[in-house]
Amino acid sequence: MEKRENEKSSLIKQLWRRYTVSGSIDIWFLIIILALLCIGLVMLFSASYPYAMTYYSDSTYFIRRQLLFAGIGLACMILFSKIRPEVWQKLSFIVMGITVFCLLIVFVLPQYKAGFYRWINLGFTTFQPSEIAKFAVIVMGAFFYSKYALHMSSSRPASAGIAGKINKKLGIMLETWILTGIFGGIFILFAIIALAESYISGAILILALGVVVMVLSRVRPQWFIIRESWVPTWLFGGFFILCAVLVFAENHLSGAILIFAIGAVMMFLGGVRPRWFIVVGSAGIVLVALLCIYIMETRDSDSVNILQTYMRERIVAWLDKDYDPTGARWQTNQALYAIGSGGLFGKGLGNSTQKYMYVSEPQNDMIFSIVCEELGFVGASIVIILFALLVYRGVVIGMNSKTRFGCLLAMGLVFQVGLQVILNIAVATDSMPNTGISLPFFSYGGTSLVMLMSEMGIVLSVSREGRLSKH
Amino acid sequence: MKSGQKSKAVNNSARGMIALVLVSVLSVGLIIRLFGIQIVNGDEYSAKVESQQLSDTEISAGRGTIYDANMNVLAQSASVWLVYINPSKINSIEDETRRETVREIVVSGLAAILDMDEDTIRGYTEKNYSYQLVKSAIEKDTRDSILAFIDEYASREGDDQVDLSSIVCIDPDTKRYYPYSTLASTVIGFTGTDGNGLAGLEYYYDDILTGVSGRTITAKDGTMSVMPNQYETIYEAENGTSLVLTLDIYIQHILEDVLSEALEDTGAENVYGIVMDVDTGAILGMVSLPDYDLNDPFTIYSEQLQEAYAEALEDTELDDDDETKTKSYYQNLQWSNRAVVNTYEPGSVFKVITASAAIEEGVADLNTQYYCSGVIEYATRSIHCWKSGGHGSETFVDLLKNSCNPFAVTLASYLGTDVYYDYFEAFGFTEKTGVDLPGDFTPTAGVLYMSRDDFSYSDLASYSFGQSFQVSPLQMITAISAVANGGYLMTPYIVSKLVDDDGNTVSETEPTVRRQVISESTASIIRECMEEVVSSGTGKNAYVAGYHVAGKTGTSEKLTEGDEEVYIASFCGFAPADDPEISIIIIVDEPEGEHGGGAVAAPLAGEIFEQVLEYLGVERSYSDSELELLVDSAPSLVGLTVSEARTEVSDSDITLRVIGDGDTVVAQCPEAGREIPSDGIVVVYTESDYTSQEVTVPDFTGYTVSEANKLALSSGLNIRISGSSANSGTVYAYKQSIDAGTTVEMGEIITVYFKTTVDVSD
Repeated sequence: MEKRENEKSSLIKQLWRRYTVSGSIDIWFLIIILALLCIGLVMLFSASYPYAMTYYSDSTYFIRRQLLFAGIGLACMILFSKIRPEVWQKLSFIVMGITVFCLLIVFVLPQYKAGFYRWINLGFTTFQPSEIAKFAVIVMGAFFYSKYALHMSSSRPASAGIAGKINKKLGIMLETWILTGIFGGIFILFAIIALAESYISGAILILALGVVVMVLSRVRPQWFIIRESWVPTWLFGGFFILCAVLVFAENHLSGAILIFAIGAVMMFLGGVRPRWFIVVGSAGIVLVALLCIYIMETRDSDSVNILQTYMRERIVAWLDKDYDPTGARWQTNQALYAIGSGGLFGKGLGNSTQKYMYVSEPQNDMIFSIVCEELGFVGASIVIILFALLVYRGVVIGMNSKTRFGCLLAMGLVFQVGLQVILNIAVATDSMPNTGISLPFFSYGGTSLVMLMSEMGIVLSVSREGRLSKH
Repeated sequence: MKSGQKSKAVNNSARGMIALVLVSVLSVGLIIRLFGIQIVNGDEYSAKVESQQLSDTEISAGRGTIYDANMNVLAQSASVWLVYINPSKINSIEDETRRETVREIVVSGLAAILDMDEDTIRGYTEKNYSYQLVKSAIEKDTRDSILAFIDEYASREGDDQVDLSSIVCIDPDTKRYYPYSTLASTVIGFTGTDGNGLAGLEYYYDDILTGVSGRTITAKDGTMSVMPNQYETIYEAENGTSLVLTLDIYIQHILEDVLSEALEDTGAENVYGIVMDVDTGAILGMVSLPDYDLNDPFTIYSEQLQEAYAEALEDTELDDDDETKTKSYYQNLQWSNRAVVNTYEPGSVFKVITASAAIEEGVADLNTQYYCSGVIEYATRSIHCWKSGGHGSETFVDLLKNSCNPFAVTLASYLGTDVYYDYFEAFGFTEKTGVDLPGDFTPTAGVLYMSRDDFSYSDLASYSFGQSFQVSPLQMITAISAVANGGYLMTPYIVSKLVDDDGNTVSETEPTVRRQVISESTASIIRECMEEVVSSGTGKNAYVAGYHVAGKTGTSEKLTEGDEEVYIASFCGFAPADDPEISIIIIVDEPEGEHGGGAVAAPLAGEIFEQVLEYLGVERSYSDSELELLVDSAPSLVGLTVSEARTEVSDSDITLRVIGDGDTVVAQCPEAGREIPSDGIVVVYTESDYTSQEVTVPDFTGYTVSEANKLALSSGLNIRISGSSANSGTVYAYKQSIDAGTTVEMGEIITVYFKTTVDVSD
């Protein structure tokens, strides 16, 4: 009896020992997080009270909620900092499954806001599955690139697993021209469909493309053979692009961009060769530039269907500084006025005037403009530097991780924060088109704050088992 | 395996560092961008923030008050309010039912309080502005109702509670009030909707009355509501300075009453006149008729102009533009202060100037003889006297008394053109009077009078009796006042002092002597001559017993386009002749029927002189002949026995009429101390329950003085004789203070006005 009890307690002990980590946390990282959290809360209160007073007749409406979630977030951070990072490695497919499920389920759930599928209403709060998706992409990236770490530097054709089988079949197909036949058939089919739709130039384009592909495939069949180094990227890429596409389908462009960007960061950290980033990056830049030019050229036409109307309008509003000052450019202009009027040292904490219904919803995405107005160039620069230090410390923690998974996980999480900060400030300073990306630690949002704090807890857990940690 | 992973981790670190460098580069980029916005272009953005947030509201300064000489308020600005709504505050309410509920509360509430159409206000609430004026110039009680209306909804419970304070707003505003409406309207003038003076003193003293407006600088939030806390800066307004006039409403009333009656009786186009203090040049009264209501200046006020305006509109087919022009033509007619702005040919009144020059230069004295044959040949012209056949043998006094043209021409010819022109200039006819009123007539040589170089002998002849040139009434009365005060040409003025908001005197107008134009002795001779004009000459209708009125009549023909002969009848004089206090000029423009200054203008002057001098408390000094008709005060008989009462009046010519059988007098009419003619009547009642005896006022018009006296006595009434009282067959009553047919108490005093029609046609 006693023995069984002992066994039982030793099992708990064993589990505890197995799934928790005991080393000390990285104190600098914690200080930076707490500093940002405090500044963020103070600024949220300052920025939100006029808006809260006007629309909720309660100046503490936002700060009270945010404080509550900050408390929950801190608890979560402490909890997650104890959990051994390898747990996430083991849970990675579950995380992936939950993510895809959530991303799909929003399409059948009642819409929280007309025309948008991005929220799941839990009754007491709402959350966006895209928040989980970002985390899932980081976990999956870390998982694949750590599991297939040895593949990354290999250029041999993959011989094992699905890739190996595909390669084998591919080899036969290439030898028997079957592949060429299938490709040709597909292209001809598309061309016929295009012709049936009387889209002649499209049909010609498809045929031309088909010819190019076939010529290439005939001349260099090895292009289609999966190399070992491609394996993790194919698997990971398939996942995060699926996530990005689903989020985009939810009508959440900024979320899709973030997921895509985080995926790219994970690929880079995972060891994908730089030339791919250069090739795809340049192609992307050219494409985006062409898209912008096209949208500007056709801005007055109603028959253009590329992107949603509001997305096109934001691009126009970014490129044409005089466009619709009381409409599409109102928010950006007001943010610029707030930033500009702050000057070197700002108007002083609490003294923003632009938060009085000029900057719309100053507690959300444009909160940085109020930071600039009240704390000035000096204060705003300090905030940016703090975020940069957070990323730096996170990278240091990752570099000192004993496992490749932990390393990728910590770096992925801090770069996600860095990415969001850069995009958010770029929007506020009119350096890119307006998209709804929130500023971590500052913007109002309960679930995303809890999520963020939990993620920071995970980074801390990586620091516990790292080489810097005192055991 | 482990070491392998480690080596990979190192590879991994390099990538982490590369990504970190990228993040750092981007962060530095953003900081540079912030530097550009906050430091390089900071001022530009600050300016934009200021311009969108700061709203600059003017605090209007209280406009100064205009007082008459006795501090009666003639024009005053009262605080009123204006109501505006902020429709965007309604339209931004998200819940539709709530929005429409609030809208209906505002619409029905304001419509009821402001007495306005609901649909109009509903239209206002649907606008997308943040400022929509609903009504201006609301009074305090209306404002209080609106505040109560806002409070009521604010104090309700639950869903019924509505915060209207940011939707319905009240701002201070001002409105100008003129307590006496038409009194001195052409002098005072009025202000426009923006509070700026548009006419009269309001225009002339606009800068002084206006004061310095203040400003409220308020920060407004994105919904145009006032931002809470410290962002308000107030620069207080400095209220305007008040004017105290020399004009006296009592004298003004007298002048207006007499002249408006004259306007009706004579059928003249315009009647205007001035009362002036001869010693200082202060204007005590100034009237130009027809005039208008200061509280409603844009409406044609007088019936006379209304009719003419209606006719003008009917007369021809007019488009809108012409209609506006027509209206503005008639508005300008009623706003015009003709006593200052208009010019006329002075006619015989100007002989006073000729006579003064002649005495001053020694070319004539009181003994100078002249024979008027009715015509004089001078400067190749035949100049006729107004009296055909002439005045025969005359002395200097008769020049003015008879208003003899050939005599005046002769005296002027003695002076010569240069010397005569010196006096023309000296008396101020070639310059502005300098009065502090808008439109002071600017004489222009060669247009309304001859320049010295062009002044010919023919002109000299015409000028000597006041023809072929134009002067303004104010110029004329200022010149005549110089004769009255011993030769000093004054600068006329109407504002005696400026008083600040706290009642302190800011500045006082000192009477200004422009120059001495004739000597004291010359002035005294001319005054005597002018008194003769009134006591026995063409001005006898201006006679007031005991007041020694001096003056000169004038009649001139107006140049018109048609064949119709139209005249200007005028009188200018002062009183008392031996020690003048006030001067008066009366001008009747285009009277119908009789047109002589002596017949038309002089009686008016007489009435005004009598009332004004009485008001000023000037003692009457009667001549022997006047003593015969002397007025007496009614004796105090109440309390005496009837026999005692009889004894009391036995020494005088007073008739005592006893009513009732009692022994003691219980009441009397007129009351003790009131002025009655020395041969008047006093009615006494002897019974305590007496009933007043009543009589019907007879019509005295057309009676001579003695006939009127008899009629009064037989009617049981007392009459006061006003005007020309020479008991001759040529003096007739033309007006009485109480209309014929009215029932009055026996013994009542009625003023009967007499005038003559003989020898007064100039």
